[in-house]
Amino acid sequence: MRELSRLSRRGFGQGLGLALVLAGPAEGALAAEGEPVAQVMIRRFNFEPALVTIRAGDSVEWINADLAPHTATGLADDWDTGSMARNASSRIRFDVEGRYSYRCVFHPNMTGEVLVIARDEN
Amino acid sequence: MNTLSLAMIVAVTATAASAHADDVMNDLEIAHAAYTADAIDIRYGHLALAISENDAVRSFAETMIRDHNAVNAAAGELLAELNVSPQDNALSRSLLEGAASKRAELMSLTGREFDCAYALNELGYHQVVNATVADSFIPVVTVAPLRTLLTDALVTFRVHEAHAGRMVTALECAS
Repeated sequence: MRELSRLSRRGFGQGLGLALVLAGPAEGALAAEGEPVAQVMIRRFNFEPALVTIRAGDSVEWINADLAPHTATGLADDWDTGSMARNASSRIRFDVEGRYSYRCVFHPNMTGEVLVIARDEN
Repeated sequence: MNTLSLAMIVAVTATAASAHADDVMNDLEIAHAAYTADAIDIRYGHLALAISENDAVRSFAETMIRDHNAVNAAAGELLAELNVSPQDNALSRSLLEGAASKRAELMSLTGREFDCAYALNELGYHQVVNATVADSFIPVVTVAPLRTLLTDALVTFRVHEAHAGRMVTALECAS
């Protein structure tokens, strides 16, 4: 429940996200507040760009421009933006270096990746 | 169910759609028909959730309900913004008649028979509706926001069509 209080999503239909958070978020991937350093537009059932690179501790914001709701969800269901309705957005902070592959749980053919590098890496 | 069944679904739905869509429809009739087509697929989805025990079929049905509700919500917002009401028409009535018949057929099935019948119907239904939206609705709509909405909705429906195709293949319904 500790992580639940850190959620700060805008949008609707957060039931799925709530369930996943209760199941336990991934170490290093948390719902975030503050300014994101990278944005991913969800448009025509694609994540654009499909790959974003950030530094550990930074956040990514997903913005849904489609009519249909979407999510950005870790492949192991270990982190999740929750459902984003049209024009809604959600942010996740990534604290640990690594590759975070994800998909939309509603439309599994939609995939993307967040590459998290060390803060002092060029 | 086999490929002949899919062909029959397409033929029946296409006949209903093309017989009326070929008539020139006004914007409000098109809005009504599009809304009706969405609502029909939402009902198919609820039926699938009530009958199917296949996880992939149930997941697809949930997606249909979620996405088509989102499209219809956007349509409702647009109509309210424009302060107009959609107009009932022959195509809408024909779609509803065809859907009632299909639901009766689906409700008589269980297990794999239902799953395949539902999957094949979803594929055929989206093929016909998508062709109708692309070829008969979007080119003649005069109000720009409605054209934009239909164009955006078509993106969603084409993803559904592809998803339905993969579901049919995975269920091995044609074999």
